[in-house]
Amino acid sequence: MPNLTDHQRPVPNPWNIGFGIVALAAALLTLLVWIPFDIKGGVIEANVLGKLEPGDAFFPALLAGALVVLSLIQVISAVIDRTVPDPDAASGKLTTDNLLFLCLFYAIVLIGLTVMYWLGPLTTEALKAVGLIELGYRQLLDTPPYKYIGYIVGGFGMTLGLITWAEGVTRPRAILTVVIVISVSILIFDILLNNVLLPPNADF
Amino acid sequence: MDLVLDYIVRGVLEVFYTADGNLDLLPMMMVFIGLVLGIVVGATPGLNGPFAMALSLPVLISYFGVSDEALLPILGFLIGIMKGATVGGAVPAILFNTPGTPDAFLTTLDGYPMTQRGQGIKALKIAHFSSASGDTFSDIVLFLTAPVLAVMIERVLDLPEKSALIILSLSFMAAVAGNSPIKGLIVGLFGMLLALIGTTLSGDGPRMTFGIVALGNGLPLTSAVLGVLVIGEVFMGIEQSARDRMAGIAALIKPAEGDNSFGWKDIREIFPRVCTSALIGTMIGALPGIGTTLAATLGYDTARRLSKHPEKFGTGVPEGVAATEAANSSVSGANLIPVLSLGIPGNFAAVFLILAVESVGDFTLGPSVFRFTEIKEIPDYGTLINKDLVVAFALFTLMALGNLFNWTLGGWFLRSLGIMVRIPKTLMLPCVLLITLTAVYAQDGGFVAIWVVLIFGGIGYILRRLDISILPFVIGFILSPKLEELIRGGYSASGGDPLFLLKSPLALLFIVLAITIITVSTRRAGKKKV
Repeated sequence: MPNLTDHQRPVPNPWNIGFGIVALAAALLTLLVWIPFDIKGGVIEANVLGKLEPGDAFFPALLAGALVVLSLIQVISAVIDRTVPDPDAASGKLTTDNLLFLCLFYAIVLIGLTVMYWLGPLTTEALKAVGLIELGYRQLLDTPPYKYIGYIVGGFGMTLGLITWAEGVTRPRAILTVVIVISVSILIFDILLNNVLLPPNADF
Repeated sequence: MDLVLDYIVRGVLEVFYTADGNLDLLPMMMVFIGLVLGIVVGATPGLNGPFAMALSLPVLISYFGVSDEALLPILGFLIGIMKGATVGGAVPAILFNTPGTPDAFLTTLDGYPMTQRGQGIKALKIAHFSSASGDTFSDIVLFLTAPVLAVMIERVLDLPEKSALIILSLSFMAAVAGNSPIKGLIVGLFGMLLALIGTTLSGDGPRMTFGIVALGNGLPLTSAVLGVLVIGEVFMGIEQSARDRMAGIAALIKPAEGDNSFGWKDIREIFPRVCTSALIGTMIGALPGIGTTLAATLGYDTARRLSKHPEKFGTGVPEGVAATEAANSSVSGANLIPVLSLGIPGNFAAVFLILAVESVGDFTLGPSVFRFTEIKEIPDYGTLINKDLVVAFALFTLMALGNLFNWTLGGWFLRSLGIMVRIPKTLMLPCVLLITLTAVYAQDGGFVAIWVVLIFGGIGYILRRLDISILPFVIGFILSPKLEELIRGGYSASGGDPLFLLKSPLALLFIVLAITIITVSTRRAGKKKV
């Protein structure tokens, strides 16, 4: 028997086991909590003629049941399967770095979207408070520059923020690109298309 | 035969004339614009056909609306993108060794060495000829087989068989896409479950909404699919770009001059490889979920085995470029065979065609499309006709137009796009994110669509990171309502027999096949790891 170091010894892949356990937990939660509490109809119901018919929960319960079985198979097969771990493998796992990236990405996007949503209403309220305008954001939804202000500032901040993060520096070409993209978006979605609204105007 | 011809002629005329009989060149123009955009997108690193189709669909729906008249221009544009992107993908692979898709990686094996020898333009001409040939062959097979298959399916398959066939398709996709069939099946079923959020069947109101009123109309389908496909890829691309920057990775480009002529001698040399690869790609494309990568791999491998000088493959031989491009392009037409005959999408491009059909007009995909019902003129009423069949033949006409544009103008346009590969991903992807968010907001009219896109983008990112194919998830999400309808109908029709799926011999065969495919492919995947 050759001597194997810890890195060369075949072991079950913890990510495969973890995936199975998470899937099993989600399937059981769906079957035992989500479906019973969030679907008013039953799995099988009697209709007015007394004939048994599938209820609203029939298909979701069938899917969740199948998921329980498959997740169990996944857990068992992952425990049985043994492979030599590859510490350098980039895929097949979620690292702390990946999660950190995801959080940062969402943070930049959410900040951009928050600015996009609130800047227009806050600006109009501020201008109204100092007596420069008389109408609120709702009444000015179709009036430039109010209808563009949130989209331009929020969209610009979000997009330029992501580019700067990816490139490590804010270059003039990035600023120019974002300005062009936002201008083209306004041209398409606001000027050429009459029956749609730019974000966030449909929410007010 | 006269009836068939009558339907074909009406389908062709549907593309060129309005219902009032006026000449209408809009659908044809949309195919052309879509093709041009598709080639540009295919030639741009970080973008691909389904990506552009995903972005275009909400814009097209916002512009054209959802009436019957809007269907052909929208489908024409999407078909143009699909065809253009397939051929355009060769540009970055050949000129700059930057494949945008896994199958384009095989194009780099011989395409990039040709560029290094100064024969990049010749490699692009070979790629265009092979790609257009493969695509045309595949479309002809589609035109001939889809109606026949659909008629057979309609005669043979009832509710249990159709349910079992969807289960078989999902199992097949889980088995061939990604490394673990069981994981693929699990995410496919989760996709199905998520698709039920906010759906309503009875008077009991919407289901599985977590009490969130905004979900009462269901999850916006396009936003969810866009999230997994586009935003998930944007997450991956930006993360990779940031890591590459930190690692100091940069592409090097060395210009060179060489023989770039492409004539009959070259065509004679590559033609046998083009034919073999087109056949392989078409056969693979007809099976749901396998996709272009396997077709390109098999096409390249077969060409190498059949070649008189297999040892030269990988050093810049035209046959290598031809085999790969013909194989991956011939998948796209054949992939519409399961779409048109069954309503089951075989790849991402087909997903967006189905989304378009489901969102616009009252055209229905599936076996009933190809019912050649008698055409009757009724005075003071109109014409009794299977309108879906006319639209199907109009769709074929649009595809034929796409091929015509591709053959005549595609090659020239393709060769002029070397500049596109210089656009960095770091600039492109954040802009794609902003356009996607704007497009889904415009289509669905609210921030709910943006939240759905971002949440499903996170799902897409995590699945990619875990090395699980997103295809079963997306297909499961799309097919869920159809499978529910079929299973509920089959269960009720059987009088409440819980084993109704196993009572029909054909349905039983499909279920056994599904289990066999998953078992065999799981064992194979296990052996590969060891």
